[in-house]
Amino acid sequence: MRNKLLLVLSVLVIASMVLAACGAPAATPAPAAPAPATEEAAEAAPTEAPAAEAPTEEAAAAPTEAPAEEAAADTGVSLTIWADEQRAPILETLGDAFFAQTGVKLVVVQKAIGDIRSDFITAAPTGSGPDIILGAHDWIGELNASGLLAPVELGPNAANFAPNAVQAFTYTDGKVYGMPQATENIALIYNTDLVPTPPTTFDEVKTMSADIKAAGTLYGFLRQVGDPYHYYPIQTAFGGYIFGQNADGSYNAEDLGLNSEGSVAALTWLDSMYADGLLDRNANITGDLMLSAFQNGDAAMIISGPWAINGIKAAGVPYAVTNIPAGTQPGAPFMGVQGFMVNAFSKNQLLAQTFLQTFVATDATMQAFFDQDPRISAWTPVADKIEDPDLKAFSEAGKVAQPMPNIPAMNSVWGGQGDAITLVETGKLTPQEGADQAQSQVSTAIAGQ
Amino acid sequence: MSAATQKVPGGAQAPPGAAPTSILGLILRILALALIDGITIWLVYQMVFDGYWPLAATLALVTIWVNIVFLSGRFYPLRYVAPGLALMVIMVLYPILFTFYVSFTNYGTGHLVTKELAIEQIESQTYLPPDATIYQWTAYRNPAGEYKLWMVNPNDPTDVFTVVPGQEPVARTGEPPAELEGFTQIPTNQLFGALGALSSLTFGVKPDSAFQVSQTALGQAAQYEQLYVYDPAQDAMINQQTGEVYYNVNGTFTSESGATLTPGFAAVTGLQNYVRLFTDPTLSSTFLQVFIWTVVFALLSVLLTFVLGMFLAIVFDVPEMPLRAPLRSLLLIPYTIPAFVAVPVWVGLLNPQFGVISQMIAAITGGWVPAWFSDPMWAKVGILLIQTWLGFPYMFVVVTGALQTLPNDIYEAADLDGANAWHKFQRITLPLLLVTVGPLLVASFAFNFNNFVVINLYNQGGPPMPNVPTPVGYTDILATYTYNIAFGAQGTQDYGYASAITMMIFLILFIITQFQFRFTNMLEERGRNV
Repeated sequence: MRNKLLLVLSVLVIASMVLAACGAPAATPAPAAPAPATEEAAEAAPTEAPAAEAPTEEAAAAPTEAPAEEAAADTGVSLTIWADEQRAPILETLGDAFFAQTGVKLVVVQKAIGDIRSDFITAAPTGSGPDIILGAHDWIGELNASGLLAPVELGPNAANFAPNAVQAFTYTDGKVYGMPQATENIALIYNTDLVPTPPTTFDEVKTMSADIKAAGTLYGFLRQVGDPYHYYPIQTAFGGYIFGQNADGSYNAEDLGLNSEGSVAALTWLDSMYADGLLDRNANITGDLMLSAFQNGDAAMIISGPWAINGIKAAGVPYAVTNIPAGTQPGAPFMGVQGFMVNAFSKNQLLAQTFLQTFVATDATMQAFFDQDPRISAWTPVADKIEDPDLKAFSEAGKVAQPMPNIPAMNSVWGGQGDAITLVETGKLTPQEGADQAQSQVSTAIAGQ
Repeated sequence: MSAATQKVPGGAQAPPGAAPTSILGLILRILALALIDGITIWLVYQMVFDGYWPLAATLALVTIWVNIVFLSGRFYPLRYVAPGLALMVIMVLYPILFTFYVSFTNYGTGHLVTKELAIEQIESQTYLPPDATIYQWTAYRNPAGEYKLWMVNPNDPTDVFTVVPGQEPVARTGEPPAELEGFTQIPTNQLFGALGALSSLTFGVKPDSAFQVSQTALGQAAQYEQLYVYDPAQDAMINQQTGEVYYNVNGTFTSESGATLTPGFAAVTGLQNYVRLFTDPTLSSTFLQVFIWTVVFALLSVLLTFVLGMFLAIVFDVPEMPLRAPLRSLLLIPYTIPAFVAVPVWVGLLNPQFGVISQMIAAITGGWVPAWFSDPMWAKVGILLIQTWLGFPYMFVVVTGALQTLPNDIYEAADLDGANAWHKFQRITLPLLLVTVGPLLVASFAFNFNNFVVINLYNQGGPPMPNVPTPVGYTDILATYTYNIAFGAQGTQDYGYASAITMMIFLILFIITQFQFRFTNMLEERGRNV
């Protein structure tokens, strides 16, 4: 009995070992200790003949003078980057050139943009995160609060980045936490049949809307209910603001302006659009409804972003893109910036930084990103060459754009401000009451952080 | 019963200590166990690597227990329940206990990592003294894999030296040669692969000539100094540059002036989350209103779906009904469409301006349309309408099944007594049905109590309430409301607080369902008397 049990156990253990051994290689994490692997690979190199692709660009900041004409041997080192489905293919192509020149493998993991942040938050502290992520600049508040990001050095060509895009990635400590790749902002899109000359002020928007409606179109200007993001240019046009800015351009969470005079004036204008019957208090216009109303010719003017253009083109409505109208001052939309961030827990930070400086911050790479995914490039040599009239117009409207605040306090704004706008739009609160409620709810939420 | 069989523990079927089964059975069992053990070892290896110690330990213990149960004849009877018990421990008990534990910590944004990791990360920060020189380096490597740096001071061309880890620098002159005392200059196409190794090394000897390469700019090196040092005696971080002391305050190193260091770490904060839950004025002022609507929402969802489902089931139970089978199948359609598709479609149909349903209502009423999304009452009606549509097929199926089990003789007896259809339904069908479906109604209630998806998809809990201290809507239920508090409005991922809220919702739901089960037990007793 005892012998038998022993036999059974040993068979079991052996079987487990075999299975575990089969399973283990897949589990081995990618970024291993580089030194020993480097040696073995370097010695084994001559027997291997990597694809003889002529290097297109010499590494700009390379400190050595050794020639690099021949393709590099596999060094056994890899760099992991998480990117969305739009930009992962570009990075994969770039990875081939990178490997040919440096012998370092670029592992590109494609993830939905929404998953990159949450997965990174989970993975980075355990050491199994990527070396680089590609994401939006307003993530850095939350990621920095947990100490997950390392400051990024923009390298010798830093001057080529659009200054406001770099500003967007600058945190309250004055350091830059991302290398900008593309920027995004909203603008006024109008139906050229219904609106021959675009409005330059929000008062004009109102009078035009009244005329257009009188002429039989359902809406002149249409916007989605609530939604602080698309409301922000209206708010700023009347002198309102969310956070005050410090002298260096960073946002000050102490200075909350949701019920400032300008913010109330903006809500008052919006309320008057409903009060005059130019918008419908109960219509519950969502973003999708707003776009389809524009596509059907039921709305003459909307505020939206470059993502709306494809649908509008497909619908065949004659349209044009122009600057946000002014109230007491030009309306400033939020600017969102996409860029590369470096994991503070990465063991390969210098490699990651060098990769970004010498392989990403180049005309060729930035142009490739733009060709694949036409967003306004944060790399001015590429942005200056944009031919597309719509993108040019969005870029023009973005000249006054303000970076979306990257401080954690901004996350507290969306709920309270959105509710207040909705309550004013549906006629449940006066503009002053709505602004006061937003101010008190948001400041309570910030205090509770 | 003989004395021999009495000694056997575990009942009449348990075999005595002798060989339990055939060889084939034994081999199959061992193979199955080997497979499970192999998977477990792989998972535990993964988890330990990722730092999930408690889960790894639980999994290992459960697997060892399963092995013992299946290999030792003594625990033979346990083999029937072992798989179920093992899964229950891993899938149900462990998550509950883990949530309970997390509710006593401040795990969340800013407190994601362990203390060891936080200290390591903070101690890895360096600073450059103001008078320090930034050198430019050229890297060398020898066949043994050791590294050497050729350093040049860009401001002083005569300040040139080489340095290896652990030795004093050696002064040099001229340009960096290709070969140097057994070391070879690393060519550009090999350099990138060596950066990880180079940046992990300290070249030279501490404290006066310890050089590190820059972590951010290629080709730079300097005498970086460690910025923070952890002092275990004070449980504090000390800034080496300014001497400022950062004490551990609930998982964040905080100086006396209030400055903090990142990352913070997850710390046990005792009852803090619960205290906050019960004393938060923004929460207590709206909690009751949200709670009442949650109960109403869950109750009405169950009631309406049950009434409609039962009505249709009884109608379709009549054998004379034409096209019974195809119609029954058609009625199941709402159940097959996932809520995340069905709800947005309904939202579109109900839209007061463009929605088909609203346009039909406008045609009947002459222009008036319910404000489905901006009026609190109509928003609630709209949600219950969708809930009923989504949920009735389930009740329809359940009741159709239950109806088949009702005995015919009772109805025949009722006919003889001259009962009409309503009486039969009221006195026979309904009580007997409730016996069968009662527990399902309780389960349905519990599900709808936390039905986050439908609420969030309909109107994100809106329309918003005016004059409240925290963003909350009229159709928010406890689940969406607290989700916004733990993950939305505060702008952080506060898992600790969310866990505390979860425990409270669990408690509330537990109490309510206990009452409901008592009620269904009562029904069961009444059912026996029919």
